[in-house]
Amino acid sequence: MRYNEKELLALSRQPADLAAELGMRAPKKGNVVKRRLVKLVANFLFYFRTDEAEPIGALLLEHCRVTKEESSGFSISFLEDTERKYRFECWSEEQCQEWMAALRRASYEFMRRSLVFYRNEIQKVTGKDPLEQLGISEEARFQLSSLKA
Amino acid sequence: MKLNERSVTHYALSDSPADHTGFLRTWGGPGTLSTPSGPGRRCWFVLKGNLLFSFESREGRAPLSLVVLEGCTVELAEAPVPEEFAFTIRFDAPGVRPYLLAADGPAAQEAWVKALSRASFGYMRLVVRELENQLRDARQSLALHHGSLWKAGASRCKSQAPNHCFRGLENGHSAPNDSNPVGLPDCSRPSGWASAEWDLQGPANLLLGRGQSPVSPETSCFSTLHNWYGQEIMELRRGWLQRAQRGTLELENKNRP
Repeated sequence: MRYNEKELLALSRQPADLAAELGMRAPKKGNVVKRRLVKLVANFLFYFRTDEAEPIGALLLEHCRVTKEESSGFSISFLEDTERKYRFECWSEEQCQEWMAALRRASYEFMRRSLVFYRNEIQKVTGKDPLEQLGISEEARFQLSSLKA
Repeated sequence: MKLNERSVTHYALSDSPADHTGFLRTWGGPGTLSTPSGPGRRCWFVLKGNLLFSFESREGRAPLSLVVLEGCTVELAEAPVPEEFAFTIRFDAPGVRPYLLAADGPAAQEAWVKALSRASFGYMRLVVRELENQLRDARQSLALHHGSLWKAGASRCKSQAPNHCFRGLENGHSAPNDSNPVGLPDCSRPSGWASAEWDLQGPANLLLGRGQSPVSPETSCFSTLHNWYGQEIMELRRGWLQRAQRGTLELENKNRP
C-alpha cells in the first residue's frame, strides 16, 4: 500500500496535542528501551529519535487499545493483533495517566461517537437538531445509524 | 518513515462505517511523479474518517493506496479525459503534487468534494467542540429556567448525568475486558487546540466564531460542567434556604410575646 508520506511528514511537524520524551519499546524489540520524542497530532502518534527532525514512524490510532502497564508505563496495541504491543515508559504516574487519557480520545472513531452522543443529548434538551442549524445534518459521518453499539 | 500498515489495512477493511464510497478515475496515487495524462485508471475508493483508501475493485482486500486528508484543500479541476468530472486534493506540503481524481457525473463529483473537504480530524474536532458548547449552553439555560423552581432543576440535572451512556469505548471499538472504561469525552482534551485550526477549510470556518468557549475553556467537560451547574443550583438553594430561614426567624420573632 502506498501512502502520502510527504504529507504525513508535514503533519508530524504540526503543533502537537501532546508531546514528550518517553521510553519506547517496539513490538519485536524485546527489552530494548529507546528514548524517543513521542508526539500526538490528530489521530497519529509520531515517534522521533531525540536528535532528528524526521520521525522514525507513525501509528494510526484507529481501532487501538491503550493499556496500563507496570511502573508508570502504558502500551498501545491494535485490534488486528492485540499481542503486538508498543510499550511506553513515562516519567511519572501522572504523566502516564495524561498520555493514556489523551490517546484514548485521539481517534476519529471516538470523535464520531462523541459527536453522535452530543447531537442526541442536545436534541433531548432543546428538541432541535444542532447539525441542521450548521447545515450538515445529512452527512453520513454524523448519522446516528453509523453508531454501532 | 514507518507506518503501522497492517493495522491501517485492518481498519480499512473493518466494518466500521465508511463515510463515502465509489468509483473514481485516478492518475496515480501518492508518490507518483508523472503529470496526469491518458485515461487513467478506475478504482474503488473508500473514505473512512480522515483516510482515503483506494482498491483495485469493490471486493479488493488490500488497499492500493492511502491518502491521509490532513492539511489539504479540495478543488474542482480539469480532467485530461473529456466527460469526466475531476477534482484535486492539494496539500500545503513542500514538493507534493496535487492528486487528480475524477467522478462519473457532476452529482458524484460534488458529493466527493463535499465529503473530502470535511474529512479532517480538525474539522470533526471542531464540530464536536461546537456541540459540546451548545449542550452546555442548553443545559445552562435549562438550569436557569428552573432556577426559581430549583428542585425541578436539580432533579432534572441529576437524571441527565451522562455517566451511563457511553461506556466501554476505546478508540472506536468496545473493550469488554477493560477495567477502565472510557467515559465521556471530557477534561483530558489535549492542550494543543491550536493544531485543529491548522487544517481549517471551508465550512469549518463558520464554526470558529461560535466554537470558542464563551465561559471558560475548562468548563467543557462533563464532570466540570456538572459541578458548575451544581454550584449554581447550590447557590440558588442556599439563597432559598436563607430566605426560608429568615422567614422562619421573622415568623418566630413575630410570634414572640
